[in-house]
Amino acid sequence: MSAATAQVPSRATPRATSRGATQVLFDAPGPKGRRRILLLSVVSAVVILGVLAAGLWTFAENGELDPDKWVVYLRADYLAFLGHGLLGTLKVTAVAAVVAFPAGLLLALARMSRLSVLSRASTVWIEFFRGIPMLLVVYAFLLALPAYGVTFPRFWMLVIPMILVSAASTAEVFRAGIKAVDVGQHEAAAAIGLGRRHALVHVILPQAVRLVLPSLILALVTLLKDSTLGYVVSYNELQFQGKTMVSITRYLVQTYLVVSLIYIVINFLLTRVALALDARMKARASAG
Amino acid sequence: MIGFENVRKEYPGGTIAVEDFSLEVASHESMVLVGTSGSGKTTLMRMINRMVDPTSGRVHIDGDDVAGLDPVKLRRSVGYVMQASGLLPHRTVLDNITTVPVLRGTSKNEARSRAHELMETVGLDAALASRYPAQLSGGQQQRVGVARGLAADPNILLMDEPFGAVDPIVRGELQQELLHLQRDLRKTIVFVTHDIDEAFLVGDRVVILRPGGVIAQIGTPQEILADPADDFVASFVGADRGARTLHVERTDGQDVVVDADGRAAGVLDAGGRSTS
Repeated sequence: MSAATAQVPSRATPRATSRGATQVLFDAPGPKGRRRILLLSVVSAVVILGVLAAGLWTFAENGELDPDKWVVYLRADYLAFLGHGLLGTLKVTAVAAVVAFPAGLLLALARMSRLSVLSRASTVWIEFFRGIPMLLVVYAFLLALPAYGVTFPRFWMLVIPMILVSAASTAEVFRAGIKAVDVGQHEAAAAIGLGRRHALVHVILPQAVRLVLPSLILALVTLLKDSTLGYVVSYNELQFQGKTMVSITRYLVQTYLVVSLIYIVINFLLTRVALALDARMKARASAG
Repeated sequence: MIGFENVRKEYPGGTIAVEDFSLEVASHESMVLVGTSGSGKTTLMRMINRMVDPTSGRVHIDGDDVAGLDPVKLRRSVGYVMQASGLLPHRTVLDNITTVPVLRGTSKNEARSRAHELMETVGLDAALASRYPAQLSGGQQQRVGVARGLAADPNILLMDEPFGAVDPIVRGELQQELLHLQRDLRKTIVFVTHDIDEAFLVGDRVVILRPGGVIAQIGTPQEILADPADDFVASFVGADRGARTLHVERTDGQDVVVDADGRAAGVLDAGGRSTS
């Protein structure tokens, strides 16, 4: 669930434009290769369209494409119901991100600390929450902890596991970013008389955070998707509202398609922001 | 005055960067350490501001053992100019220059007005103050590096191959400007390079190092050229290839000084000294 967060944009070296860099590993195909690529593209397009058509055909046969079953999603009360869920999703994601990202940075710093106790503890913590499925953490808060008398409101039963898991994976993003800052910058900072703390705050972190900004936005996408586990704790986020709606209206296919569409649109927009940031940074890095 | 006393640097694993090095650099003198890679020249220079601590031996500045000084405070009081400028890419030129003075407690306004003066001193247009390093040319970045090194008005300026990353023409300009600056500022400069021509140009005295920080010869450029200590030095300065020998040819009633390849180096004036 955190595969998308692990990538950190490589530091584009000045003058090596990103286009030139990708060309190095890519041999332009010859006429035969081009024909083969075209053929494969056409075949896969036909197959994908075929599958889609078959799906639509099945839906049509079963009356799922009946306009009456779709126009209801334009009704104000339907929209308000789903909108309530969307609001819940955004709230959960925002709160989780606002806590998890700074916590991730602290975990990364702790892992890179010179105090080996701190470093080891943080490593164990990060690896534990990175390796465990978030669903298990949610269950722990829903089932295990209450057995010992520790209970949280529904909102926090969802948000705390999101924070724990996301902080661990963003910690690794931050660590990669800090390591990606040029060694010369550490030296430069030391040479002009910055202590370790000053160097970190004034030299290393500003550059590292800029490097990982696109990855952080991808981490936000992951968080948004993780929030769908809200159905486990019955928190009214978008997917849970969809589920409730299905149990009332029986419009299973339609509801989940509409809900998916909403997720896809939001995540698409976030990803675009990440790509735009990444492009802007590469342009700036190669400006010299 | 900077003094090295029987300094030795040995890295874990047994690599010996510097075996046993002693040197005194007089105040207001520019001393160049020159040698190939592995000669320990950068290691030696970094012992002055404690970026490297010697395994044994002492380094002192005006009689104070640097081992007893706080490294951060020490580094703020010693100017440092490094190769490829080492500027902070996320800060403007002005902020790069004012970083150290502000950390030392100078007020922001004062540091800024001083930075503007320094930019003028090193030949940077005032309009560049708000630019970022990536928007400057290599030569301009290096000038900013020098301005930053001078920002805290240090008595000592350490220069680590400062002009190594710029093209030969700009390098020549920067070298000449450093000489100008030094005439006015009279800092104690320790300058590291692998370029013997640069060493002879910039240095009041030059130390030629063998691998392991062994001094092959120390002296003024004139002394070294006139009397290379051994074959190593002769080969290093190019004397063995005849690259340093000039002779006089008489052309159109003038004494023209010509180098080993037959290129004219200058005209002999009436006083008998060659002008270039």
